[in-house]
Amino acid sequence: MRAVSFILAAFVAVALAACGSDAVSSPTTHAPTSCPGIDLGARPSTISLSPANPVAMQVLGAGIDSLRYTAEVAARGTVAYTTTWGFRGANAGNRINVWDVSGNVPSLIDTINVVGATTLGDVAVSDDGSLLVVATERAGGSIVIFDLSDPKHPKQLSRFSNADTDPGVHTAEIGRVNGVLYGFLSIDPIGSTPARLVIVDLRNPSAPQEVFTKVTGNPFVHDTFIRDGLLFVALWDDGLEIWDLGGCGTGGVASPSHPVVLGGVKTLGGQVHNVWWYHDPDGGKRFAFVGQEGPGAIGTSSKGDIHVVDVSDPSQPKEVAFYHVDGAGTHNFSVDEAKGILYAAYYNGGVRAIDIRGDLATCSANQQVTNGNPLLTRCDLRLGGRELGIGLLDQNRAVYLWGVQFVNGRVYGSDMLNGIWTLAALTR
Amino acid sequence: MRICHLVTLATLLAARDSSAQSIEAGAQLVPVVTRADPTATRADLTEGYLAQPIAMVHAKRGSLRGIGTLNLEGLSMQRGELVTGAFGEGFVDRRHPHAYIHELLAGVEFPRDGTAQRPPFDASLFFGRGFAPFGSDDPMTRPFEKYPVNHHLGQVLERVLAVAAVRYGPIIGEFGVFNGDEPTGPAAAPNWGRFGDSWSTRLTLLPSPHTELSGSVAHVTSPEIRAGHGLDQQKSSLVARYDFDHANGSRQYALVEWAHTDDTDHGTTINSLYTVLGEAAVCRADAILAARLERTDRPEEEPTSDPFRTPRPPSDLSNLGESRWTTLTIAVASPSVKAGFVRGRPFIEVARIWVAPGNPAGIFNPELRYGTDRLWMFTLGLRLTAGMMHERMGRYGAALPDAVQTLPAPAKSDSMPPDMPNMPGMPSTKPPMQSSMHMNMRCHL
Repeated sequence: MRAVSFILAAFVAVALAACGSDAVSSPTTHAPTSCPGIDLGARPSTISLSPANPVAMQVLGAGIDSLRYTAEVAARGTVAYTTTWGFRGANAGNRINVWDVSGNVPSLIDTINVVGATTLGDVAVSDDGSLLVVATERAGGSIVIFDLSDPKHPKQLSRFSNADTDPGVHTAEIGRVNGVLYGFLSIDPIGSTPARLVIVDLRNPSAPQEVFTKVTGNPFVHDTFIRDGLLFVALWDDGLEIWDLGGCGTGGVASPSHPVVLGGVKTLGGQVHNVWWYHDPDGGKRFAFVGQEGPGAIGTSSKGDIHVVDVSDPSQPKEVAFYHVDGAGTHNFSVDEAKGILYAAYYNGGVRAIDIRGDLATCSANQQVTNGNPLLTRCDLRLGGRELGIGLLDQNRAVYLWGVQFVNGRVYGSDMLNGIWTLAALTR
Repeated sequence: MRICHLVTLATLLAARDSSAQSIEAGAQLVPVVTRADPTATRADLTEGYLAQPIAMVHAKRGSLRGIGTLNLEGLSMQRGELVTGAFGEGFVDRRHPHAYIHELLAGVEFPRDGTAQRPPFDASLFFGRGFAPFGSDDPMTRPFEKYPVNHHLGQVLERVLAVAAVRYGPIIGEFGVFNGDEPTGPAAAPNWGRFGDSWSTRLTLLPSPHTELSGSVAHVTSPEIRAGHGLDQQKSSLVARYDFDHANGSRQYALVEWAHTDDTDHGTTINSLYTVLGEAAVCRADAILAARLERTDRPEEEPTSDPFRTPRPPSDLSNLGESRWTTLTIAVASPSVKAGFVRGRPFIEVARIWVAPGNPAGIFNPELRYGTDRLWMFTLGLRLTAGMMHERMGRYGAALPDAVQTLPAPAKSDSMPPDMPNMPGMPSTKPPMQSSMHMNMRCHL
């Protein structure tokens, strides 16, 4: 009997040891207690870079649109879609341009006019390439959903609007939560009616269903970033918030129809406009990049930094670094995650390429800036030698870059004044 | 804050019911037809309105004062009034309708009386909704029906404010605190929680009985975003004003104004807007000839699907640059005619407008926007008034200079409506300090 007990005890001990061993190597080893379902990976190592002058990014070609002001760009494969904005003379920003980008020079292959629109501020392609979603602003807020069975000639499937989408959908991001495609709509404020976020179930793209809305943002909610069941929400002067939509594995409490706010941070200067949660090739997910959009004049000036936020604890994100360009401000991002390069549209400052590998929260003393606040010491990415490239400032014409997208070794830039540019991505 | 409105109303009612007090009332309506050639539609446009439909009451009881101005433009011209170059409160090339409650203030005045019991200066304190002590008078009380382009650079109005004024000899000092948010519509309530986030101060010198010189500065927090967190404004203004109402019924008026507004973000200047304006009017035999020349910078914003509207609040990316407007306006008004207690004064105004890119121009291009850089505006109208009208609008209590020399009210005159208060037999209307209500109905501008 003792032998049996000994054998059982030994078996249990081995089993427990095995479980313990699993815990050490399981994907949740680096999960924060505030969000146990997300493995943030090991803290990246500190890298030391030698400051060097940024290179001029190679421009491969341009697709010129001088009839309308170009807004956002979304690209997939060999096709890129650009939206249009405001009025250029009598021409309203009601047009989607479809570009063949298989060659160096983008070639316009189709245009789609959205009825009753004057500004199409945002455009996104679903992760499976089946849908194109475009936001309408100003002349009533809506999202227009297109079928991309023929990517070069999108066909409208539906248009979603309701009382919550007025007066305009500023941005419409799309992403999957537990396999279901959702749209995340940032709605403009108007008069004394505040801004709000609307989440739409796109399971049936012909008949989208609103599943959630919330008044949020101070005074704007400008953009979102969805990944791994977490939603990063840009709330202007209320900073960045991280919402759990089910990614934290808290037993079904959180979902797209019932988001749970994990935490937030007010980055220096506020004006939080857009976000990118970076997943490095080693599994690290510790840093989010926040775009600050200060005021500017289209075609002339812009203002606002990129802020780096450490999200190791999503309930207490913390700003740790920044990137600043004199005389220009950032707008939308795209990241070559395999190489660790962030490309940022910088309006009159063209395109900027920044090295975001390694631990961005650690830097030498001479790369640290306190901005007069000893409680907020940040690393200056420029001083850290992380400014890799500058694009489009050598074209002998004014540029005003709204958005960029990295795809297959190229960077497509949407330029309000000129149309779409193709640049060669940096190979490091 | 709402209590202040109740107090004001109570003051007005108390004054009405007291035989020892006085109440002055008046009303105005301006039926008008305007042709803008071209306008924001890139074509000519002719429209008619009932502009400036206002009713105003000034009441006093002892040292207490009540001021109310009801403006019904929200009903009569909801789409705004064609004024090429105008901007503000989400309107462009149209003047926006003003708030229904244009003014509603309660105040207390402490006039000097030459005795030792009172200090040797005039003082007043007003509280309610009205004009911040900044810049020049409301254009509605000036010799033109059309507002100048610089309305939003030259005045700060329709705010909930507390304003104190002190006058010592020829010097007047004012200081006011108020909410920075401008009205989001005629019926919109101010953001009460923002009371006190903005301030202004004005110093006025009265070198002669008919002349006043003033300088003012203001800090206005986030005027264009009601919730706050928008661009702030640092404003400054210099004004010289001359107004001589002669005993023979003629009148001469002139005003020169310079004003500057910086839109700032965390202390950094984003837009820098300047205006210079000169206007003059002469009135003889009750006929008025007036001219105005101004050059004003206008911030250009992304329009909505309505070319006369811009989003409020503006979104992150809406600044198209600046434009520069030079406008010459000539106005002629005939002698007024009276029908019962209503007076009517026909007028015509012609404006020649030049628009050019400002600094920075951004993407503003007048040819793209209007199809031309030279525009016309023609206006024909009839100014109808009854009762006692504001002579000045934008100053309260001790801040009202006596640059306008008002004549004593005639004992019994056909220029005074018989059914209006302020008649012989009523308590004296000579206020302890200057009244802003006009006493000489002839040559009223």
